[in-house]
Amino acid sequence: MSAHYEPEGQAPPKSGLLLLQALIWVLFCIFALRFWYLQIYRGEEFETKARDNQLRQEAMFAPRGLVRDRIGKLVAVNEPAYALGLVREDCKDISTTLDKVTEWTGVDREALREKFHKYKRLVKPFEPMILVPELPFEQVAVIEANALFWPGLEIVVRPKRYYKQRDLLAHVLGYVADANEVELSKDSGLALGDNVGKGGLELVLESRLRGAKGLRQVEVDATGRRLKQKILREPLAGEHINLAIDLGLQTHAARQLEGQAGAIVVMEPTTGKVLAFVSQPSYDANMFVTGLSQKQWSKLRDDPMHPLQNRVIQSMFPPGSIYKLVVGGALLEDGFSPKETVYCGGQIKLGRRVFRCWKKHGHGRVDYQKAQVNSCDVYFYAAGDRLGVEKMSTFAKDCGFGQKTNISLPHEKTGLVPTPEWKRKRFGEPWVGGDNLNMAIGQGFNLVTPIQVARFISALINGGTLYRPLLLADAEPEVQGQLPMSELNRTMIVDAMVETVQSGTARRLKRKGVRMGGKTGTAQVVRLKLKEGDERRKTEEMDYRERDHAWLASFGEKDGKSYVAICMVEHGGHGGSAAGPVLKSIYDYLFSEKMQ
Amino acid sequence: MSFIDRRVLLHINWALLGLTLLIFGMGVLNLYSASGFRLESGVAVNPYYQKQLAWGLIGMGGMLVCIFLDYRHLKTLAWPLFWLSVGLLICVPLFGKTIYGARRWLDLGFFNFQPSEAAKISMLLIGAKLLSKGQRPLDWIGLIGVTLVGCIPAGLIILQPDLGSGLSVLMLLGGLILYRGLQSQVLKTLFITVPLLLPLSWFFLHDYQKQRILTFLNPGSDPLGSGYHILQSQIAIGSGRMWGKGFLAGTQSQLRFLPEKHTDFAVAVFGEEWGFAGCIILLSLFCLFLYQIFLTAQEAKDRFGSFLAAGVFFYFFWQVLINMGMVLGLMPVVGIPLPFISYGGSAMVVNLCLIGVVMNVSMRRFVFKRS
Repeated sequence: MSAHYEPEGQAPPKSGLLLLQALIWVLFCIFALRFWYLQIYRGEEFETKARDNQLRQEAMFAPRGLVRDRIGKLVAVNEPAYALGLVREDCKDISTTLDKVTEWTGVDREALREKFHKYKRLVKPFEPMILVPELPFEQVAVIEANALFWPGLEIVVRPKRYYKQRDLLAHVLGYVADANEVELSKDSGLALGDNVGKGGLELVLESRLRGAKGLRQVEVDATGRRLKQKILREPLAGEHINLAIDLGLQTHAARQLEGQAGAIVVMEPTTGKVLAFVSQPSYDANMFVTGLSQKQWSKLRDDPMHPLQNRVIQSMFPPGSIYKLVVGGALLEDGFSPKETVYCGGQIKLGRRVFRCWKKHGHGRVDYQKAQVNSCDVYFYAAGDRLGVEKMSTFAKDCGFGQKTNISLPHEKTGLVPTPEWKRKRFGEPWVGGDNLNMAIGQGFNLVTPIQVARFISALINGGTLYRPLLLADAEPEVQGQLPMSELNRTMIVDAMVETVQSGTARRLKRKGVRMGGKTGTAQVVRLKLKEGDERRKTEEMDYRERDHAWLASFGEKDGKSYVAICMVEHGGHGGSAAGPVLKSIYDYLFSEKMQ
Repeated sequence: MSFIDRRVLLHINWALLGLTLLIFGMGVLNLYSASGFRLESGVAVNPYYQKQLAWGLIGMGGMLVCIFLDYRHLKTLAWPLFWLSVGLLICVPLFGKTIYGARRWLDLGFFNFQPSEAAKISMLLIGAKLLSKGQRPLDWIGLIGVTLVGCIPAGLIILQPDLGSGLSVLMLLGGLILYRGLQSQVLKTLFITVPLLLPLSWFFLHDYQKQRILTFLNPGSDPLGSGYHILQSQIAIGSGRMWGKGFLAGTQSQLRFLPEKHTDFAVAVFGEEWGFAGCIILLSLFCLFLYQIFLTAQEAKDRFGSFLAAGVFFYFFWQVLINMGMVLGLMPVVGIPLPFISYGGSAMVVNLCLIGVVMNVSMRRFVFKRS
């Protein structure tokens, strides 16, 4: 049918039509020839290649960066661990192979099967699926000797995280564990069975610590045996990290709290570097690395002492009398003369309510310094009444309370600086005068974390600068704010702290040749309704859960070196008696030649 | 014009339709094999082939629409559609969605739309409209004018960056220009200057693109890097030999040595499992398919229809040439799919719609006589 063209000139271009036909022929000829060349002429050669010489790319594990303390002692290292892997593309009969694995390792047959079916879709082609994450060395030898007869099975050597001090730094370092599905899907650099940081610095510094996997080209035969290999990309080890923490001090400090629950922070006040970070009780981070059993996990989770709780940054406690340093600052800044006295007769009345001083018969006439040194409650009740909630809460916030310190650890808590709006929202009740009084002595609704207290005390003695608490040795100091006090008032408070050690509630810290200062705190856990004439019970007579929390915040200066040390003993009773000996022992260490 | 003309229906190009469906069917079957992988028992299959089937059905809907709307209306729609597609391309860098590091898609909620696909269709229409005007071979002015029009969408696509699609648009236009013919003066000049200018384009390529070309020239240099695809796909195809290893039995592809086996390298799976015999059949089907489109271009009753068919011819021709050339190790690796065989939703719909356009031209070849 070629004769139906419309008027002349409407015809398709002749040369174009020829071109199209020519192109079809060219296409056919080139490719037919090429197919013939590859499939017939060189077919046999390619068939052999396909059968025997198979090229694979394998990942090479990069060692995670090491973690050391400030003078270079290792705290987190990598150890080689042997795992049994299965490359299922090489395996002829999965079922009997799994049976063999059970025979060798004693791992339950059903558990293996379940694992295989769970993982098979997640493992990339030719990547070994880890069936048994940790093999004892004797088993490794047996399996290596027999692996030849079991194509697909192979021993995989991987670096495994090991925390040398076990539970000592668990709350700082966190731990690593197998990446979960969410992490795998977010990060293409991860493969099933890879470890990632799950808490603490391991999590926060994941990108620095991890390094980059290498790539290796492996030529394998049809059963997966390696014939030749060539490294295409060297693995890149993760960055090594030095903590600001001093391992000796940390060990010493943790020992002082043994058997108790609590927190200790030792800080360099002029830099914010944290030299000791103790949260007790703790847990062995190594347990998580190979995977916790359900039983181990329940035991940790249900432990009444809450070992997983990071008491330095996550536990919020009423500060007790420690808070008088804050309220004292606010009072002096408000223009109240430090010389002016308040009479303490053991109690003060507000409306029909009676507020008692901890000293039953009172302190008599007290000026500012005497009030802080002896922790006179009546003086600070009066201060709270004068200042009111707005002034106190604004001041406390400016001192860094009620907000995170931004220490580089996950899940830090903010604490609480109460305000009338907060109380209305939380309890549906208005703020009353009595709340001011309770707030002024650190009871009532106030909540602080030990790290916030450490930052505040550091600022008091370093000239008023709030530094971010730092966990790494090489971190540059970061200024977060200034205390809202004049130099004069700040010095007044610090001097009173020194006097507290000399003659007040923190006398246990007194030592020769060192300028020491401190403030104790005893934070009521249960608000005990005391009737007129009732005696307060002694700590030993109370239930553990009802006992007060003991606080001691302190500093020590000698030969140009200064340290801030905070101790909080959960349900420890009185600040001076429970936390005092702990900090005394810590200063023994700090000012000994052991501290470099 | 009546919407559906009985006489028109009588002249449906059954050969073209049959060839299309045959190749499409082979593609789905091949995808079924390519998306499976061997497990301890039987074959587990990823749902690529099901999706491909679904896209095929959607595409056939589009094809029906393209068949029954008289193609001569497309001539008036050519400019508006052209500017619409340019507008969409401009939207891409502004509101586009980034996938795999390139911003090529517009998120329409229910699916991601790739404006460069629409640009190919509008290029086809505008090219056919401009080039079917007049009859003498193109002179310099005509050539430059048409090329400038083509450079607008092509430039926008290359900037995305999507060199493959950008060049497809230009090659489609280039094919149409060759189909129209050039003045011998122009042809001679181009014949000498283009080969001289081509090396200059080297400096505009991304590093990975340069790498692909270097690897193509010497695949042994980097057997696990960019040479890996080329080598593995040749091993897969070559090991198929005369009769192939059989459906679902390709060891290279089933064992997942072969990367991208459901998209750009789908032919390698086919070659391994069906051997030389299968490959020659597939190649022949593609050639017959192109021949049917050629016949339509030859028999069309107006130049616009003829150019439309020729444009579709080139649209498919380049893809087949480049994809097969790449899989067979005759060309550098460029991400261009094989029509109906490679997995891909938007491409499938566009392919089937274009077949619809050709069939439209084909079945109206008798209409003019009576009008």
